[in-house]
Amino acid sequence: MVTKRDRPPEKGQGSSAAKMWIEDQPDTMDELLAVLGYKVRASDMTVIAKKLEQLEVAMGIDTVHGATHLSETTHYNPADISTWVESMLTELSPSVSETHSSLIHDNHSEYDLRAIPGGAIYGGDSSTSSGSKRMKVSESCVVESGPGPLVVDSQEAGVRLVHTLLACAEAIQVDDLKLADALVKHVSLLSTSQVGSMRKVASYFAHALARKIYKIFPKDSLEVSFLDMYQMHFYESCPYLKFAHFTANQAILEAFAGCNRVHVIDFGLKQGMQWPALLQALALRNGGPPSFRLTGIGPPQPDNTDALQEVGYKLAQLAESIGIEFEFRGFVANSLADIDASMLNIRPREEEAVAVNSVFELHRLLARPGAIEKVLNSIKKMNPKIVTVVEQESNHNSPVFLDRFTQALHYYSTMFDSLETTGFTQTNDTQDLLMSDVYLGRQICNVVSCEGPDRVERHETLTQWRTRMCEAGFDSVHLGSNAYKQASMLLALFAGGDGYQVEENDGSLMLGWHTRSLIATSAWQLVGPV
Amino acid sequence: MAGRDGDDDTPSESRMVVPLNTWVLISNLKLAYNLLRGKDGTFNRHLAEFLDRKVPSNTNPVDGVFSFDVIIDRGTNLLVRVYRPVDPEVGSPGFTDLYRPSSADVVPVIVFFHGGSFAHSSANSSIYDILCRRLVSLCDAILISVDYRRTPEYTYPCPYIDGWTALEWVNSRTWLRSKKDSKVHIYLAGDSSGGNIIHNVALRAMGSEIEVRGNIMLNPMFGAEERSESEIQLDGKYFVTIQDRDWYWRAFLPEEDRDHPACNPFGPKGISIEGKNFPRSLVVVAGLNLIRDLQVAYAEGLGKAGCDVKLIYLEMATVGFYLLPNNDNYFTVMDEIKTFVSSSS
Repeated sequence: MVTKRDRPPEKGQGSSAAKMWIEDQPDTMDELLAVLGYKVRASDMTVIAKKLEQLEVAMGIDTVHGATHLSETTHYNPADISTWVESMLTELSPSVSETHSSLIHDNHSEYDLRAIPGGAIYGGDSSTSSGSKRMKVSESCVVESGPGPLVVDSQEAGVRLVHTLLACAEAIQVDDLKLADALVKHVSLLSTSQVGSMRKVASYFAHALARKIYKIFPKDSLEVSFLDMYQMHFYESCPYLKFAHFTANQAILEAFAGCNRVHVIDFGLKQGMQWPALLQALALRNGGPPSFRLTGIGPPQPDNTDALQEVGYKLAQLAESIGIEFEFRGFVANSLADIDASMLNIRPREEEAVAVNSVFELHRLLARPGAIEKVLNSIKKMNPKIVTVVEQESNHNSPVFLDRFTQALHYYSTMFDSLETTGFTQTNDTQDLLMSDVYLGRQICNVVSCEGPDRVERHETLTQWRTRMCEAGFDSVHLGSNAYKQASMLLALFAGGDGYQVEENDGSLMLGWHTRSLIATSAWQLVGPV
Repeated sequence: MAGRDGDDDTPSESRMVVPLNTWVLISNLKLAYNLLRGKDGTFNRHLAEFLDRKVPSNTNPVDGVFSFDVIIDRGTNLLVRVYRPVDPEVGSPGFTDLYRPSSADVVPVIVFFHGGSFAHSSANSSIYDILCRRLVSLCDAILISVDYRRTPEYTYPCPYIDGWTALEWVNSRTWLRSKKDSKVHIYLAGDSSGGNIIHNVALRAMGSEIEVRGNIMLNPMFGAEERSESEIQLDGKYFVTIQDRDWYWRAFLPEEDRDHPACNPFGPKGISIEGKNFPRSLVVVAGLNLIRDLQVAYAEGLGKAGCDVKLIYLEMATVGFYLLPNNDNYFTVMDEIKTFVSSSS
């Protein structure tokens, strides 16, 4: 299989984005195929056609095994037809088999990377649209259009509720606070007649709108330990975090192939839920496990307990039980921007492979100017073999309040709908669901009612993160069909999981509810030879 | 079949008759699909979804058309993608504009069923998303693309049931009604398996109070036990093989043969529609399509039963000619569709 290194697109998918891209590079990509999501150079068309014919012949010669073999190997980035076809030709052609890296034949399906629920790790005593009406808004605000809403049947009351919420946000946008106040009260009235997820969504948004109207901007006084607990419950009740951990681990596992010493730097250790599964997979891999070093970063605890150390200790116990040499170091920091590579005792690349992992952490840096640039620079100095980034797939960071309100309304409506519809069969714990609501509710409050450095839930889309990563000097590492398949199978564990959909997007994987993507995992490496 | 030897510079027959980028697109799909079908009737759904190119809905209009998704049946998780032309009086739609009745006196509502031989593609597949957008612009219509359940996970009659659910949903939306007569002006359109679904949904509509004003079928998918002349002659020549067709029929109708009425509506087990108000039909047949004879027979069957049918036979067209607007056949068919929809309002 050809290397997964690829030059990612400068702009994202979607017909308007593709058209913008075409204008930047005239006569390069076939426009009609680009609109369909395929990247094919017009000048390569004949060559690609020949390769397709060759591939058909190659598959035809060995009808019994050809197609079966190819369907079981791992595929990467099907948008790039040329490399995709080339990789299959290479796969079927025995003469070049010795140049394959072990990644191709190493079928990772033997590793059960299904994330282990919190309770199991620590032995049972566990504590887990886009449509925006622009009214008198500056034309210079370029907002990336979000996907349209996913409507769950157009029941009259539900539509009126959304309409009223949007009208309230519009009123705030034009500073008509009197009207906004009347509307937010009306929302509360309307939402009493709603049931289920729409009611919850409406009340969280109404609450956040009220805060904004009355200018109540309390500092986030809730103890960090509570936040971690909310996230643990969120983790248990729906697959989003598990998907995040799973797909990131898959990329890390592949990057660590053949390495004897590894160092994972986790930008948000929390309860360390991501790591048991990776440790297990490393313990089982061919050639035995590497020595494993984990650096966990987390915020200070108000009661001065060393939460990081506790997590590190538990993971050390697990590592010992499965025979992995394990070292842990915790770093307390208010912001990732306070960490730099020199503090982390980075060893040379030949000695130790580094993975930097960030799950829902990077967007917080956008609240302070210069922070993200500083952190991306630090990451480069850590000399990572792989950088895994998981973020919410939505733009909640538009400078225009109404735009981010609208995007957030559609996003969290879909999120809550998925939570309501599915339930993790292994737990009937309503507490999990309640806590998940709170976890999400806090995000909503932050997006809608906070400003400046307090507004930390500055989610942006994969397209936006891609641009940032590329500009900072990173190249995309593609997640393949094996990761896709296992992620899909993971979802089947959830009751009503029918609605969840994994999508491949230019080498990244996204998890969505029906047709609406909600979480995106991407993997990165440094540009240039290392 | 494709080029005989690796070194042979002669392109295959199919490469001679379609534009190069069309050939690359359809061959790419064909080879991908070959990987997915298992000999034992299994289907590699994970790989299928991994390879399929999808696009999200978009309420910001692109070329004058916007879209949004609706789950219309929670029980079966049935989703539709709604496409609407931008209303010049309204501009970029806000949330309530999604359900605003059209300002036009008559608005055609097209219920669309994508192709994929019952197993492939979705309402949000890029090849169908773009086709639906083009149809909306062309006919100034609202279009509802149905994300029906697929084989082999769901066999006959699931897609038909989903089609019916969607039809009922469309018919009962007040915001889809035309001002002229407070009715929803419904057309059914689709390609390949979508065409087959149309026929069966239209059959059911005949006995109901739902009025279907027209059927538009692009290369509708039918089969028969007896091999037709075109199947024998064209096997493997233009992207499609008898073997793959048989696979899809076995997946859709596991216990049946290809004379089952779902597969062969005017065959030995067919149901007569003579004297019944079957919708007027536009049947588009690609002359280089493997099952062209069956499709022509279908159109003839409609005619013999007294139905209003227009057959568009495109001699040098292959499957998928309507996916890219780069050939005369595409434009011919688009004109016919436009006329068909506007003339029955």
